[in-house]
Formats: sequence, structure tokens, C-alpha cells
Amino acid sequence: MSPADNTSRRHFLRASALATAGLLGSGVLFPGERLLAATTLAGDPGDPEVPNEEVARILRGLFGDRPIRRGHIQLDMPAAAEDGRVVPVIIESDLPMTPERHVKAVHLIVDFNPDAHLAAFHLTPAVGTVSLSTRIKMKRSTWVRAIAETNTGEVWADYARVQVLLNGCG
Amino acid sequence: MSALGEARIRVPERIIRGELIVVNAIISHPMDTGFFRTAEGQPIPAYFIKNVVVRYGDQEVARFEWTSGVSRDPVISFTLRADSEAPLSMVWTDNKGDVFEQSANIAFVSA
Repeated sequence: MSPADNTSRRHFLRASALATAGLLGSGVLFPGERLLAATTLAGDPGDPEVPNEEVARILRGLFGDRPIRRGHIQLDMPAAAEDGRVVPVIIESDLPMTPERHVKAVHLIVDFNPDAHLAAFHLTPAVGTVSLSTRIKMKRSTWVRAIAETNTGEVWADYARVQVLLNGCG
Repeated sequence: MSALGEARIRVPERIIRGELIVVNAIISHPMDTGFFRTAEGQPIPAYFIKNVVVRYGDQEVARFEWTSGVSRDPVISFTLRADSEAPLSMVWTDNKGDVFEQSANIAFVSA
């Protein structure tokens, strides 16, 4: 797919998601859910849409109405994972780790996994920097979200789209 | 890795006071999701590490909450500011309440 196609497809997806949100806005969702959907859809260009109520509920529970901005955290994952049972994850951040200002938690959310809020890493300034790596299971191709929350209430995210060839969740 | 709960923590051999070190840890655990069945069709219940507490000296420096979405024999690496000579301990707790512990000593090379 050419970059131009990709852009127009993205615009199309965004437009249809907005249309869907608009339709749902006619009373099917609770006001808070409508607000969250609107906030997230109005996020940085290229951010993945919230795909289902489960992920919306997780994000709302963790971050409330705070904006989830892209930046200051880096999520590295393979673009294609042969085996969904073992998918490497590396999370790093350039945010300070001082008592005054630090990352207090990093949340890993895998949109279409059975348990989408896969892990939470609670940190203190003693770790010096945010540099985490582990291996996770993925059921199918989806977006993965790494979202950092600072002690001052900022929320920073990065996203990785991972294509999964072998279902790792059964 | 073989026996359930067998864990290792790896830290650098030579550490200088104040250095930022990388800590690598692995524990043997099946991390069963509860979605699979045996060849005989019996469901395999969920069985996974749900909580990991990292202490350096007497301070809790990190705590991880996991689900069965973390791969079998979970590995985790993170950094630590090595500013005192003290044990680094990790406690893994699974959803059946079994507790596994391991520690590594943070000691500095003499200048």
C-alpha cells in the first residue's frame, strides 16, 4: 500500500469511527463513554481508535478524562510476530525519574486480547529510568498501547501495530 | 528452567556506586490462561503469576501486576540506580497464592 493510500485509508477509518461515535452519541452510551470516545478520537494524528467498550472501560478507569498524549514513551515490538505465545516488548521513556517528577506506572494494553489490560508496572525514582522489557502473548493482530502515568498526572502513550501469525492465547 | 518457581536474578558483576544497572529476572511458571484443554479435553485452569514485588534494601522500588497474558516462564528486565550496597529481592506471587522469592546482592567494586 502506498503512503498516499495509507493516509486516505486512515482518514476514512477516522471519519467512519467519528460517524459511529456520532451515531452512538444519540443516547446508546453513557455521557462519560461518549466523552471518552470523543477525547480519544480527537487525539494525535495516527493514534489508534478505541476499538471496543472493554478498552474504553480500561482507559477510563485508569486515566479518567485526562488527555492521552503521544510522546515521551517508546514502545518497541516486532511488526510481525510469528508466534503469538512469545512476543517481545520493550518500553522506554525519556521522562525524568526524580522524586519531584517521575513515571509512577506504565500500563500495557493489548486491544484484542481476552485480558486486554495485560500488565501494569509500578515504578519509583529508585529505578533511575524507565527501561522495561518482557515477553507477552497475543491472540490476534492488533494495536498494543504502552501508557505512562506521571506522579504529576500527565499521561503519555506510544502504540505499536503487531501482526500475529499464530494465536498465542488459545 | 524446570522446577516451578525456580527463579534467577542477574545483575552486572562489576557495579560502581551510583551506576544505573540493568536487572534481568526469570522465573519458571506455566502462566496458564485457562483457555486451553488437555489432550483428554479437560480444561486447564488459569494459573499465573499475578504480582511481583521488587525491594532494594528495605525499600520497595517497583511492583508489577501481571495477567496470564505474560508469556510462560516470565522474564522481566528493568533498571536500578545502584546507590547502596544492599540485597535486591524479588517476590513473585501467583493466583493460587504460592509465593516464590529470589535475591541478588548489589556490591560495589573497590576503587
